[in-house]
Amino acid sequence: MNLSTLKNQNLQEVNGLLDIKDRDILAERFVSLGLPSKKSEEYRYFDVEKLLEKEYKTLTYVPKTLSVSEKIEIVDGIVVAGPQGMRIYNEACQKIDMDHFDPLYYLGHLLSPQTIKIELDGDVEVEIEHKFTQSQSLINYRIVLYTQANRHATVYENFVEENIENTLVLYGYDMHVSQDSSLRMVKMQTMQNSGYSMVASHKINVAKNAHALFKSFDLGGDNALQLLKVELDERAHVDAGHLLYLNSKAKRGTVSQIVHKGEHSTSKQVAKNILDGDARGIFDALIRVEHSAKYTKAEQNSKAILLHEDAYMVAKPQLEIYIDELEASHGSTTGQLNEKQLFYLQSRGISYVEARKILVIAFANTLIETVKDSRHQERIKKAFEEVFYAGHQ
Amino acid sequence: MSIMKIENLQAKIGDKQILKGLNLELEPGKVHAIMGPNGAGKSTLSKALVGHYDIEMLGGDITYKGKNINEMEAEERALEGIFLSFQHPVEIPGVNNAYFLRTALNAKRKHEGKEELNAAEFLRLMKSHLEMLGMKSDMISRSLNEGFSGGEKKRNEILQMLILEPEVIILDEIDSGLDIDALRAVSEGINKMKDGKRSFLVITHYSRILDYIEPDYIHVLKDGKVIKTAGPELVPYLEEHGYDGIEEE
Repeated sequence: MNLSTLKNQNLQEVNGLLDIKDRDILAERFVSLGLPSKKSEEYRYFDVEKLLEKEYKTLTYVPKTLSVSEKIEIVDGIVVAGPQGMRIYNEACQKIDMDHFDPLYYLGHLLSPQTIKIELDGDVEVEIEHKFTQSQSLINYRIVLYTQANRHATVYENFVEENIENTLVLYGYDMHVSQDSSLRMVKMQTMQNSGYSMVASHKINVAKNAHALFKSFDLGGDNALQLLKVELDERAHVDAGHLLYLNSKAKRGTVSQIVHKGEHSTSKQVAKNILDGDARGIFDALIRVEHSAKYTKAEQNSKAILLHEDAYMVAKPQLEIYIDELEASHGSTTGQLNEKQLFYLQSRGISYVEARKILVIAFANTLIETVKDSRHQERIKKAFEEVFYAGHQ
Repeated sequence: MSIMKIENLQAKIGDKQILKGLNLELEPGKVHAIMGPNGAGKSTLSKALVGHYDIEMLGGDITYKGKNINEMEAEERALEGIFLSFQHPVEIPGVNNAYFLRTALNAKRKHEGKEELNAAEFLRLMKSHLEMLGMKSDMISRSLNEGFSGGEKKRNEILQMLILEPEVIILDEIDSGLDIDALRAVSEGINKMKDGKRSFLVITHYSRILDYIEPDYIHVLKDGKVIKTAGPELVPYLEEHGYDGIEEE
């Protein structure tokens, strides 16, 4: 399959090319947004066309009986294992956002009539492991997560690959954080000379009085983009944090929209970006406060450190506000390591090279330490240091 | 013989020449106080001695233990035993205070051909100093200087000094922003370091600190030069008459 054939096609042609029926509303939405290109605002800095132009093998999705495992294991888009008693099944997605900004959100749903539905009942903590084993393939799947009202769920997300090459992964979540519940999602993805590229397109609905935490730790090289839309109901809160450490010729980052719909909703979004080599980091983030969202509090900030003269950061924090009764702030800085801090460390006998490492790790730690579970915090710190030290021996 | 000799030191920051032929010798085991009006060049001198990036040397020589250190990098000077207690210690979020100090100490030990200390050995060493300085034990696990009060920052500077055991100690306005208890604790830490070999260069605006750290010499710095050197008896004179009445010797 070559996804670029979907470019500039009408509804009938798209239905024909994708061999789909009875999903005209989704297909229309996809057609109206169009296949992403460098002219698309949300993909402008990501070279998506190169990924879509390749010829991929399509995989046949045959649901499997789940084996029991401590974690949820998804192999090439098929869920194969999960914790005993956890409700995980394949089902058509019932609630698709019809106002998502990302065309690949719709393409993902069109290509995945069955989604992996995970019901996070009770106060639960679970790990989701995504594994990719197929080369030259298009791996497409979607996951639906539900939390139970008044309950608190935590999900740790990891990615592994076998020896693959030239694969494209399109996946994403539709998360429903129920009233008075909380969902903590911590994603860690190290990619270094990976055999796959990724576009992850998510939607998070945060109901009344609910809290969502979405922390992503994207490390290494290669190409991956996460597109995130969050909708906040009355007194709902989202805490989003994104750490990027990129090297070589990586192009990775986050494109997001946080939409305040309910009164007294609050959002905090922090991006910390460390860019080395020829890497390009992306933080293109909009906070929209609608007429209905009086007394909103919104805070957004991006900081980037460039470790190499060829590294480049695209930071576009944006506010779109339709009311007066709110508190909102946003900002962005891009620069080198702090000279005063570097000198302070050197003045105590620490070498310039070591002082730089300490400061970079410290910059990352300020976000890593927001992961409250010490075991996972250490795991992320270790992964970060491994990737960073590999390029700075 | 002096441990550090500064001859005809000329230096600028940005476009402005601040040190204009400064001469000074630090004797082993002695406390040298540098006093002078605002803008005389006191902090510039301290920066020049530790190789700060702000400083451009225009001429002169700094000799430390018989070796010219004009071209020496800041970290090398520190490893050789030159220590500056900063007037405004910088905050570094995310760098654990204990981790930082152990890294610094082990860099020095490695430089001296000694074995590095492990975490447990280091913590024992650190805790032995904390109590004396009146520092809370949680300060070792906090980020370096982040959210520290003025007094806590200065105590932390002295903690570093106690652990790194330098040979020339430059204290830049160590008394600024300290209440009387903090001043006493900081002074106690400094006095504890006196061993008859180390040299201290105490840079200060006011004589208050000199009630706690008894100086051997007072050097008056004015317009980028040391214009007078005398014993501690000069302090009350300066208190009464200020710097205007001091003429270059």
